[in-house]
Amino acid sequence: MELTLAHYLILSAVIFALGMTGVLIRKNLIVMFMSLELMLNAVNINLAAFSNYLQDMTGQIFIVFVMAVAAAEAAVGLALIISLFRNKQTINAEELNIMRG
Amino acid sequence: MNEYLPVAILMLIAGAVGAIMMFVGGLIRPKKYDKVKSSVYECGMPEFSDARKRYNVRFYIVALLFVLFDVEIVFLYPWAVAFGDIGLYGLVAMFLFLIILVIGFLYEWKKGALEWV
Amino acid sequence: MMAQVAFYILAVLAVVSALGVITRENPVHSALWMLLTFFSVAGIFVQLGAEFVAAIQVLVYAGAILVLYLFVVMLLNPRAGGFIRMPAKYIIGSAVSIVVFFQIAITVWSSGIFKNGTIGPLPYAEGMNNVRAYGNVLFTKYLVPFEIASLLLLVAMIGAIVIARKD
Repeated sequence: MELTLAHYLILSAVIFALGMTGVLIRKNLIVMFMSLELMLNAVNINLAAFSNYLQDMTGQIFIVFVMAVAAAEAAVGLALIISLFRNKQTINAEELNIMRG
Repeated sequence: MNEYLPVAILMLIAGAVGAIMMFVGGLIRPKKYDKVKSSVYECGMPEFSDARKRYNVRFYIVALLFVLFDVEIVFLYPWAVAFGDIGLYGLVAMFLFLIILVIGFLYEWKKGALEWV
Repeated sequence: MMAQVAFYILAVLAVVSALGVITRENPVHSALWMLLTFFSVAGIFVQLGAEFVAAIQVLVYAGAILVLYLFVVMLLNPRAGGFIRMPAKYIIGSAVSIVVFFQIAITVWSSGIFKNGTIGPLPYAEGMNNVRAYGNVLFTKYLVPFEIASLLLLVAMIGAIVIARKD
């Protein structure tokens, strides 16, 4: 069976769904962030596959922009987690319910 | 695609060598354990505290600056390779990019984020 | 034949290690499983003819971002690992992502263009390679996003330092 675009898109969909599951079911904020990185990686596979399929470099260029955004997101998000931990002594998503009405 | 076959073979062999060494070592080494031998070795001294104690937040700031400047360097690679094709235009573009990031560098320098107090 | 074998090995590695990320209770183990995911995805990029991106994937994701995550895990040393306690939310969360997966999968399979979409090496002009073509497109067509990326990094740098510092 020849490798087609669909193989890569399905692989990316599987990793995206796994990352989404991780964001929804984990309670540790750091692991939720790691699952977000998984979702970004799935998007990157999609971009690379379409870059190859359309014979166009644009997809590969936006992968590196996605990586820059991921680095910025990780830096600021983890700084927020550190600041949160300093104030509330927890990073458990279940215990952070101060906004609950 | 086929030009990466040697890389794959190399990775396979490297992994196999490591795995075989550990397996054979586990088979033929003597298995005599006692309390002293399996205790934590810290330069001959008794250990002070648990290894999993909390780190200082300064480690995080150093790692953070490393990540952001790493991404900056990533953009320099294709610029260096394609420099012959883009010329002066690319030079100006890269200088603008670097000036913006140097502002951040100066900010953290003034803020004292680079100093280890 | 080679390409198919390589793809399936890499895909199984990526999916198994992604499962490892979301099922390990210890955040350090999750991070190490994520390392394997990043390497597998880098292999997928090589297969798609994006060698530069594969190298950057290892350099930035595996080399820098993952280290940042490990630093934060060791900085906070959280005892609260694990999963949310309410099984209902657990089931709903899994169900939602399964539904999302099938939405994407059905869209992919029902459109004929994807089934015939061939994957092969990108053609380059004489003397060109992946990185050089990349640089040429990045510094001509996508110059403005490139400069905006530097602003993004500047904002992230300043913001993260302001948030993370004690005083």
